[in-house]
Amino acid sequence: MRRTLLIAALLLALPWLAATQGQAQTAPAAPGRNPISAEELELQSALRGGVVDGRVSIPNPQAAVLIQPEGRDWRAFHNVTLAWVGGIAVLGMLGVLVLYHLVHGTTRIAGGRSGSTILRFPTIERANHWMVATSFVVLALSGLNLTFGRHVLLPLLGPEAFAALSQWGKYAHNFLAFPFTLGIVVMLLLWVKDNLPTWVDWEWLKAGGGLFGGAHPPAERFNAGQKLMFWITVLGGGVVAATGFLLLFPFAATDIAGMQLSHMLHSILAVLMIAVILGHIYIGTLGVEGAWDAMSTGEVDVNWALQHHRLWAEAQLARERAEAAAAPGAVHAGAAD
Amino acid sequence: MLIKRSDRQIAQSARAGKRLAAAYEGLSAGGLDRRAFLRQAGLGGVGLAALGTALGGPRLAQAAGATGVIDHAKPVEIRRNICTHCSVGCTVTAEVQEGVWVGQEPTWDSPINRGTHCAKGAAIRELVHGDRRLKYPMKLAGGQWQRISWDQALTEIADKLMEIRAASGPDAVFWLGSAKFSNEGAYLYRKLAAFWGTNTVDHQARICHSTTVAGVANTWGYGAQTNSYNDIRNSKTVIIMGGNPAEAHPVSLQHVLSGKEINRANLIVIDPRFTRTAAHATEYVRIRPGTDIPVIWGMLWHIFENGWEDKEFIRQRVYGMDEVRREVAKWNPQEVERVTGVPGEQLRRVAQMFATQKPATLVWCMGATQKTVGTANVRAFCTLLLATGNVGISGGGANIFRGHCNVQGATDLGLDVVTLPLYYGLDENAWRHWCRVWDVSYDSMLARFESKQMMETPGIPSTRYFDAVLLPKDQVQQRDNLKAMVVFGHGGNTVTRMPEAQKGLEKLELLVVADPHPTTFAVLGNRRENTYLLPICTQLETSGSRTASNRSLQWGEKIVDPIFESKDDYEAIWRLTGALDRAAERRNMPIRFQADMFKHIEVVNGRPTPESILREINRGGWSAGYCGQSPERLKAHMRHQRHFDLVTLRAGPDAPEEVRGDYYGLPWPCWGPPELRHPGTHILYNTNLHVMDGGGTFRARFGVERNGVSLLAEGSYSKGSEIQDGYPEFTVAVLKRLGWFDELTAEEKASLERHFGANIDRASWATDLSGGIQRVAMKHGCVPYGNAKARAVAWNLPDPVPVHREPIYTPRTDLIAQYPTLPDRRAFRLPHLGQSVQNRSLQVARDYPIILTTGRLVEYEGGGEETRSNKWLAELQQDMFIEINPADAAERGLRDGAWALVRGPEMPEGKFIKVKALVTERVGRGVAFMPFHFAGWFMQEDQRRKYPQGTDPIVLGESANTVTTYGYDPVTFMQEAKVTICQIRAA
Amino acid sequence: MARMKFLCDSDRCIECNACVTACKNEHEVPWGINRRRVVTINDGRPGERSISMACMHCTDAPCAAVCPVSCFYTTADAIVLHDKDLCIGCGYCFYACPFGAPQYPRVGNFGSRGKMDKCTFCAGGPQQDNTRAEYIQYGSNRIAEGKLPLCAEMCSTKALLAGDGEIIATIYRERVQRRGYGSGAWGWRTAYRETVSI
Repeated sequence: MRRTLLIAALLLALPWLAATQGQAQTAPAAPGRNPISAEELELQSALRGGVVDGRVSIPNPQAAVLIQPEGRDWRAFHNVTLAWVGGIAVLGMLGVLVLYHLVHGTTRIAGGRSGSTILRFPTIERANHWMVATSFVVLALSGLNLTFGRHVLLPLLGPEAFAALSQWGKYAHNFLAFPFTLGIVVMLLLWVKDNLPTWVDWEWLKAGGGLFGGAHPPAERFNAGQKLMFWITVLGGGVVAATGFLLLFPFAATDIAGMQLSHMLHSILAVLMIAVILGHIYIGTLGVEGAWDAMSTGEVDVNWALQHHRLWAEAQLARERAEAAAAPGAVHAGAAD
Repeated sequence: MLIKRSDRQIAQSARAGKRLAAAYEGLSAGGLDRRAFLRQAGLGGVGLAALGTALGGPRLAQAAGATGVIDHAKPVEIRRNICTHCSVGCTVTAEVQEGVWVGQEPTWDSPINRGTHCAKGAAIRELVHGDRRLKYPMKLAGGQWQRISWDQALTEIADKLMEIRAASGPDAVFWLGSAKFSNEGAYLYRKLAAFWGTNTVDHQARICHSTTVAGVANTWGYGAQTNSYNDIRNSKTVIIMGGNPAEAHPVSLQHVLSGKEINRANLIVIDPRFTRTAAHATEYVRIRPGTDIPVIWGMLWHIFENGWEDKEFIRQRVYGMDEVRREVAKWNPQEVERVTGVPGEQLRRVAQMFATQKPATLVWCMGATQKTVGTANVRAFCTLLLATGNVGISGGGANIFRGHCNVQGATDLGLDVVTLPLYYGLDENAWRHWCRVWDVSYDSMLARFESKQMMETPGIPSTRYFDAVLLPKDQVQQRDNLKAMVVFGHGGNTVTRMPEAQKGLEKLELLVVADPHPTTFAVLGNRRENTYLLPICTQLETSGSRTASNRSLQWGEKIVDPIFESKDDYEAIWRLTGALDRAAERRNMPIRFQADMFKHIEVVNGRPTPESILREINRGGWSAGYCGQSPERLKAHMRHQRHFDLVTLRAGPDAPEEVRGDYYGLPWPCWGPPELRHPGTHILYNTNLHVMDGGGTFRARFGVERNGVSLLAEGSYSKGSEIQDGYPEFTVAVLKRLGWFDELTAEEKASLERHFGANIDRASWATDLSGGIQRVAMKHGCVPYGNAKARAVAWNLPDPVPVHREPIYTPRTDLIAQYPTLPDRRAFRLPHLGQSVQNRSLQVARDYPIILTTGRLVEYEGGGEETRSNKWLAELQQDMFIEINPADAAERGLRDGAWALVRGPEMPEGKFIKVKALVTERVGRGVAFMPFHFAGWFMQEDQRRKYPQGTDPIVLGESANTVTTYGYDPVTFMQEAKVTICQIRAA
Repeated sequence: MARMKFLCDSDRCIECNACVTACKNEHEVPWGINRRRVVTINDGRPGERSISMACMHCTDAPCAAVCPVSCFYTTADAIVLHDKDLCIGCGYCFYACPFGAPQYPRVGNFGSRGKMDKCTFCAGGPQQDNTRAEYIQYGSNRIAEGKLPLCAEMCSTKALLAGDGEIIATIYRERVQRRGYGSGAWGWRTAYRETVSI
């Protein structure tokens, strides 16, 4: 923008420079001749950073925009800002995780596996998680490809293969937007009650989640980290999905400026989410022993549960015991009715 | 750097590539994104079926497989024709391969367009690929369109025509011709009407420049553009008044803007609308619609007041300017501003520029002519030019931009209810002249008419055909009402009062529409029987000459054969006359057509050749100088276009001998037989040139004196004239008196003797078939038609000196008493109401507060059926709209792009037309504008289903003329299309 | 080597749309794809100007810079072209283009886009010159035939100039000097980072 201003200022000065050299041939103010030339208008618009638009007879409002300087800003965002932010976020997160893993290693189940398990995620929750997860991975890869592919994959694959891959990536991106969005909504409905912040979270956070040694602070069904993850996924994913739909249906709800803004939000949030999700994936797989079970079979080891989600595990175990004790009574009650 | 795939690479990706190419092929040929289009067009389910075949299916052109791809391995033929849209006369260069028009290239050689085109010209190839063209003859049977053969169609039409002729006389048939005809087609059609025995033969000039022709011819001799588009390059001041050439004649702006730039000329646009032309003006004057005469008189008031008039010019060459002075004296700046809204200071500035920064030219179009005061407007314009001495000079003159591509030629060749070809009129002398040319006896011609009186009575103009159908029989001054219409190349939506037209069309006993497209005529009325469509090809599919607005004739060669079953006008007329002969025979009627009509016309394979028709025109076209433009000369001009100068239009000394010294297109008058090599006349009435170099004087057309005052020029004559003063038109008697009679050759004398016998003294320059009189006159440097004064007073017109008359419907009811329209009267066999309708204004003006005016769009032309069927053009204007000022729109809660309902004071109760609102400052407050090219919706009824399947134009819309109202010029019955009143509300 | 440019003299442009239909006619461009369009600013007011706009074939073209698949290339004449076989229809070039040049047929899913289409400066595409395959995807290749873009060649008032940048700048400069006014070379600063100095 600053550069634009500078150029504009220089151009403004040009007629004056020319005049001093005695070669002024700009519009003489003949009577009745239009005082404001179109060039000046363009200049003024450029100075304001606004678009120059007018009227066209074809029924396409986009066509009426003559010059839209915002394209430059968008280009700078896409080629510079996004590339750097995305690169740093994704690569940086990968680096942090590798470093952490090298230093800290996998968090073991304190006291080893007990052998008895407890149901953590029922099938519906797991199915939904994996629907979101798989679509996210494909969306993320195909999305990253749009920014980084030409630098990374194009030299490897050659133009034809890379274009074909990107084409399929685009189709996948477009179609998987729907299961992803659906999953986000279902996820919200399933888990929102367990993700409302409580005082326990505060304690958990103060203890750093036990991430860097020390005892694991107590946690409910979801610890504060997971709650953060949830909200990032639901809110971030929601915004990414919403902006994505604006891009999926061009000009249906917004104009070019809106689409540029949508794209900016969409892409910057997406790369940040990718970074966060990388962390999530690490914790769920390599980072924490026993965590994988929660989303694979749904049954977690009791010791793991007590270690990571003590409040929830104790409540669950108490309920199981109570249910076991009350079971015959229930039959009676039913008979009495 | 250039990335091109090698053959190997292409082979490698052949599969993928082919798939993609195939996908694009669909797009490329099918053209139109169906869904988007449907949304734009707002179509209901009714039209879908028809649309589906046209849009989804492959291109239907006879040139199947023609996607416009040039096969670079095969030779390409170059053919040249003339654009069929406006009157500028742009040359179209076509690339043809194996009979298919595959490409269009700029024509750098043409001095008129120099390679350029407007939207219409650049999209013209589509006309002969058009899958929406009428493909074969059709008729309505029980309200359904049915395909029939040409023979069946013509036989049925001829039988019906003969039946009507027997029952109601020849005047019950209206022969409506076209400005789209070539000169030869127009002439042939006029001849057909004459042989049919009626003068009811007309064409679009009625509704575009009939008032110009009447007004200008009544001033100085000929009713045509005096200079040329190219000559505007010489002007120092250009006033464009009542015209929007940026949209109506875009290529003319090339010359106007060049002139403006080169001469730093003043370009003044006087118009109620801030048009695309006004955007390039140095001064824009906004006037209230319908106040042209007060504006002109207001300018003259300043001119006379300051002595800026050209006194010497007036003394030598103008009759009656003093009477004008008396009228002008009433138009002081206060009164002008009260009536027109133009500030006195601005008008003074404009007047000064026009009178003092010379040469100055006045350009006008339909804004001046389509008025109840059209003829008077034009007369006022001419008077302004005369008063400032701006006629007959390079860079000056009345640059009248005609409308259609050959409206000038069709007017010249007499598609007009008041004259035979070339302005001979309808009196006995005229008929005798043309009978001599046609080599038929006068008596045989007389026998074809109802009576000698009807033979010499002007016919019914195209603006009133429906009145002649609908009015009680005793109100129509002929044997019976109009019963049949044969319409060649004419849209039905360009004539005002469409609700009445619909009724008229429904009552006709026979309707024949011969056109490349089924025009509004075919769908407007709810007809069920006796309606025929004949597919006629465009001028691009045949050959012939056409006359551009500047009077230049250009020969177009056939680019491709007529597509589908269409035929050209010549062949259609030839076949029709044959069918009429057979029908007459069957009914034992004595009349015959073909043998007499085509006596001296060559017919090859059932097609009369345009060359032979043009030669017949040459033989008879002395009065307007259509005698020198032989087909050979015209073809040579097209071959050697590049040798003609851009500004003077003249071929220089380095040009090939066959065109050397000629003006491009031999602009008429081109005197004498072709062998005389008259160069044509670039600038009319130009006394600075010898007559053999295209010089001229004002025509001595109105006698030699009036009330004791000489009408002949005083001390002014064309260069090299041996008579150095005014002189009357040349006759044998005049030649004898001058002692020049014996300069005629023996053959010329023999010809005169043969044709005139005892009346030889009365043979004139216009009727002498040998051309001897013209030759001898010019040998002495004299102009054959004489040397007279132009008339500032035209005593034969209703207003000899133009006076302001308020439009019939005006919101300024306060001015009606002071400036009333003419009283009711009769003309053209019909009643003509004036004041009785105007008095209605007093009652309705309150409910219709907005002045409605109409005009053209650049993308469409005329009735628009042709251009709205052209997908390249249709895309650019998909909705009928009304321009409305932001203030008026705000009052009505109308947003830009929203639907609006519009109604006029003569529409049926409760009816509206529905159009898009275009909120813009182009129109001033209280004024609205609609383009007149749309049709196919009629008071909110979508008529798409009424078109024969697959021939409906892509874009339909309400017609402006559904809203327009009564009002006719007293001289020509020109319709009032520029000023009426309306009400607008949000839909 | 010539550097091809467009220049629209808005003091001459009358919005006759010849450039638009010439383009459509020459390349058989379907409905909804407007390789060239005419925009009128200040419509109906003093200062009204019409400008014919298409791809300007920019120096350092933004479309090429942002294209995820690098389907753009610049010819030796500095004409910016693209390869439709590589284009994935993502729409990025439309976001970046200051002139709204990229066009998309609505053939993709959800009303989104097919392969991008834009003005080729009548220079076709990567296929062999003047082959049917090239024509179908990109339209005709006039440059290969030694001709200039048809839009400019057919411009009714010769407002639209196309050709070597220096030559058209000279034409425009002479024109402005002769007539004494000129509203500048539209979009040149944005496209070519220069303007026509008078």
